[in-house]
Amino acid sequence: MKSARSILTVAFWLLVAGLFAADLCLLQTYTPTEVTMGPVQKIFYFHLPVAICTFLACFITFVASVGYLWQRRTVFDDLASASARVAVQLCAVVLVTGMAWGRGAWGVWWTWSPRLTFSLILFLLYCVYLILRSSVEGRQRRATVAAVYGVIAFLDVPLVYLSAKLVPDIHPASIHLETSMQLTLLAWAVPVLLLTGGLICTRFRLNRLHSQLAEQSETDGRGFEVMPLTGNVAEA
Amino acid sequence: MPLALEQLLLLVGKDLKIEARSRQTVGLVVVLGLLIVTVLGLGLGGDAAAGFGATVVLWVAYLFSGVLCFEKTMAVERSDGALAALMLAPTSRATLYFAKLATNLLLMAAVALIITPAGVLFFHFDLSIAPGAFTGVMALSLLGFAAVGTLFAAVVSSSRLQGGLLAMMVFPIALPLVIASTQLMLHRFRDGLPLEPGAVGIIVAFDAIFLTASWLVFEIVLEP
Repeated sequence: MKSARSILTVAFWLLVAGLFAADLCLLQTYTPTEVTMGPVQKIFYFHLPVAICTFLACFITFVASVGYLWQRRTVFDDLASASARVAVQLCAVVLVTGMAWGRGAWGVWWTWSPRLTFSLILFLLYCVYLILRSSVEGRQRRATVAAVYGVIAFLDVPLVYLSAKLVPDIHPASIHLETSMQLTLLAWAVPVLLLTGGLICTRFRLNRLHSQLAEQSETDGRGFEVMPLTGNVAEA
Repeated sequence: MPLALEQLLLLVGKDLKIEARSRQTVGLVVVLGLLIVTVLGLGLGGDAAAGFGATVVLWVAYLFSGVLCFEKTMAVERSDGALAALMLAPTSRATLYFAKLATNLLLMAAVALIITPAGVLFFHFDLSIAPGAFTGVMALSLLGFAAVGTLFAAVVSSSRLQGGLLAMMVFPIALPLVIASTQLMLHRFRDGLPLEPGAVGIIVAFDAIFLTASWLVFEIVLEP
């Protein structure tokens, strides 16, 4: 049973890697180069799906946080923590690809355009979520505090977006895509979505195991608390 | 007078009495605010920041002073188990939240009354163009900021977190207020345009959303 799961996991990651490789070939051979911006515009096919998946991960954190406050089950907290971590990672990718695009298109690494500003604030909001988790002692207290912040942070997202739009923008208002470009975008969306789902599931499983271990040690009365999971394996 | 309002006034009165006797918060926060305005004024240079930079500098001063204010008013409840005693009192958590919010707003208003003239003076900011617009926008913005700050101060206080975390939690959340109000001020004072309803709407929506959300989750935050 365990080995079957391992084989499935390996097969899943191989599929994701294969799809990314196929998309890169597609980008080189099939997708036309945009006239105004040139080859740098091709970042867009990766940038946009990652940005959409970032919102998806933030939304999962919000729903799981509400679920935790409603039901007080650790499974929701584990899911919220997993998706928030993935949201931060994806948002970092959005920022880096956005900056690279900006450098190629406008000649500057950073501009206070609404979309870049929004991505930066979103990144900071969820970084704070992760820092908060590692700062609170006690599993239940940590889950409650993180859930409250997770809800508040997500409620802030539309306001951040609207307020960032008040700043003057150099982005094009809309981008017209040819059919071949739309197909490329769709082809890139599939592996990015799978990657997001895979990362959240992997992290969620790790969090579940960690929670079960902590519950077990509490039931056994060993009287020690399992350290919160961080990015550093040695700390865990 | 309704019981909840009576309890709220009692709680606010208690907090203000503590502040009047100890004089710990307002003095400290005012000096911090003035220091921020001075340091930023020196750093930016009088000419570079003349006029329109004042709103941004004032916001920086409000943000840091506000966080210190929220921290101090909640820290009072932490000593001698005052928070536990307060929670045993026959009053709703919502009343506790709104009482703390009212205290914070009063203290911040007192601080703003000193910091704002200093900013206006140092940066040659001509407030006479639209004093009503400035006061209204800042009052609405500080209400939203205090709504979030009061909630997170309770989180920090009841979870025994380090003080620095409060600033880290509140600042990114409050950014829509900072962006909307500074853009409004720039358009009003620099460009001479009327207040943009969209930007005012963002501030009002922020206040409404976070007052409601904070009121709903405050009880959960105070759980032992």
